[in-house]
Amino acid sequence: MAGKKCVEIREDLYEKAKRFIEEQGGFQSVEELVEFLLEEALSAEEASGQGMSKEDEEKVKERLRALGYI
Amino acid sequence: MPRRVFILGLDSMPPRVLYEGMDGGGFQYLRSLVDESRRYLLRSCHPPITVPAWMVMYTGKTPGELGIYGFRHRRPGEFGYYIVNSRYVRAETLWDWAGRHGLRAGVYGVPPTYPPKPVHGFMVTDFTTPGPDKPYTFPPWLRRELEQATGPTIFDIVYRSHDKSRVARDLFHMLENHQRQVEYLATRKQWDIFAYVEISVDRAHHAFWKYFDKTHPRYEEHPEYSSVIPRLYRSIDQWFEKLHKQLPRDTVIVIASDHGIKAMKGAFTINQWLAEQGYLRLRVDPRGLKPGTDLREDMIDWQHTTAWAWGGYYSRVFINLRGREKHGAVEPKYYEETLKQLRRDIERIRGPDGEQWKNMAYRPEELYPEVNGDPPDLMVYLDDLNWRPAGTLGWQSNYLPENDRGPDDAVHDWIGVFAVYDPEGTIGRGDAGTIDIHRVRGLLEEIILSKK
Repeated sequence: MAGKKCVEIREDLYEKAKRFIEEQGGFQSVEELVEFLLEEALSAEEASGQGMSKEDEEKVKERLRALGYI
Repeated sequence: MPRRVFILGLDSMPPRVLYEGMDGGGFQYLRSLVDESRRYLLRSCHPPITVPAWMVMYTGKTPGELGIYGFRHRRPGEFGYYIVNSRYVRAETLWDWAGRHGLRAGVYGVPPTYPPKPVHGFMVTDFTTPGPDKPYTFPPWLRRELEQATGPTIFDIVYRSHDKSRVARDLFHMLENHQRQVEYLATRKQWDIFAYVEISVDRAHHAFWKYFDKTHPRYEEHPEYSSVIPRLYRSIDQWFEKLHKQLPRDTVIVIASDHGIKAMKGAFTINQWLAEQGYLRLRVDPRGLKPGTDLREDMIDWQHTTAWAWGGYYSRVFINLRGREKHGAVEPKYYEETLKQLRRDIERIRGPDGEQWKNMAYRPEELYPEVNGDPPDLMVYLDDLNWRPAGTLGWQSNYLPENDRGPDDAVHDWIGVFAVYDPEGTIGRGDAGTIDIHRVRGLLEEIILSKK
């Protein structure tokens, strides 16, 4: 298991998140919710790596040709 | 407290429309804002094209520093090309800067922002997004929220079509989609700066300019098509008036474009010309090919070729340099001389009736303080952009009345707009001269950090 680091967040936001979990369920703690949201936010960034797949690049080339840019 | 700034980006908006009233009655609210604004003539970059121009504006770096000279680029020694995306923009953008200052930024439709990068706020990417099935927002879950609230995102339309009624329908459909989304984001999300680029303005200009601009050499009054551009302006005007009334009263409004637009006089077949001049040796008869055939690697007799070119809104010319290209024929010691000669010959190209053209051929290092990435050997503008360079083959004449890629009425122009409306009156009003597009970023920072 990866180690843990301490991050400070605003108190009102913490309370809001705590209430959210108590009312809606789904998470055991604010910490779990925060970790989950961070992972989700950064997942697309990791997946896209250096940009586009070959297939996507071809799609964009075709569109740019149709638009007359290239 | 920093100033809150909303930037309405109207791709390809020229000063004679926004400042001088050539809008067919479309801009009424925006006109009143512009009249009360500090108005700059915005000098676009080399090349004056959507990519790289918006990123030059938002990073404050020239295309040479960014290493972005258009949508496509060629690695040395390769014939094919790659397309730049947001990952190629390594300089700090205005929204990165805002995040660093604790400010929240909204970014919508700024090219190229796909794939989306993390931003202290939110981002919806631009028309270079491969499709609506891709992760095109930051944070990623914004996509679903936006689609549920406003319908599927429309990134672009196909405007090079003779079915102009369909093009007009698609254009308004896309514009309304963007307007719904931007209004949703601007009124429900937190932001200190909001950068929005509306691409439908550029698409309308390209598709309908000859029905709108009475000075167009092929101007045509049309009962339906002549009203498309004014109606599009009107739609933006009314929508923005409604949005503006919902924004905090002290919001600074910036109206900007990335370049201007003007009538296309025609297209010039740059590779056919290079072949005639002996710079490009082809294994095929270019005039025997189907009109509009792309130049392929196997069509070129590389041992006897000095240069070849790409078309587009400007032309990029490459020297077949030994040691750099796969079948390089030009010895490095003759590189300078070859460029000089080619440049002279390009500058001497004349129009179809022998008229003098204002051609410009630049070496990238003459234009920028730094030249990064994969630049061409020469950057060429024909007749001050009035003639579009066509890279394709198969044409009986080197002068084409139309674009080689399908119907298109317009080419880009050097001068765009940059108008700053400050409801608090701390930013002076009136004409403020010319600003280079790479200086805009600094000005925006000053405005954001200025005191009310």
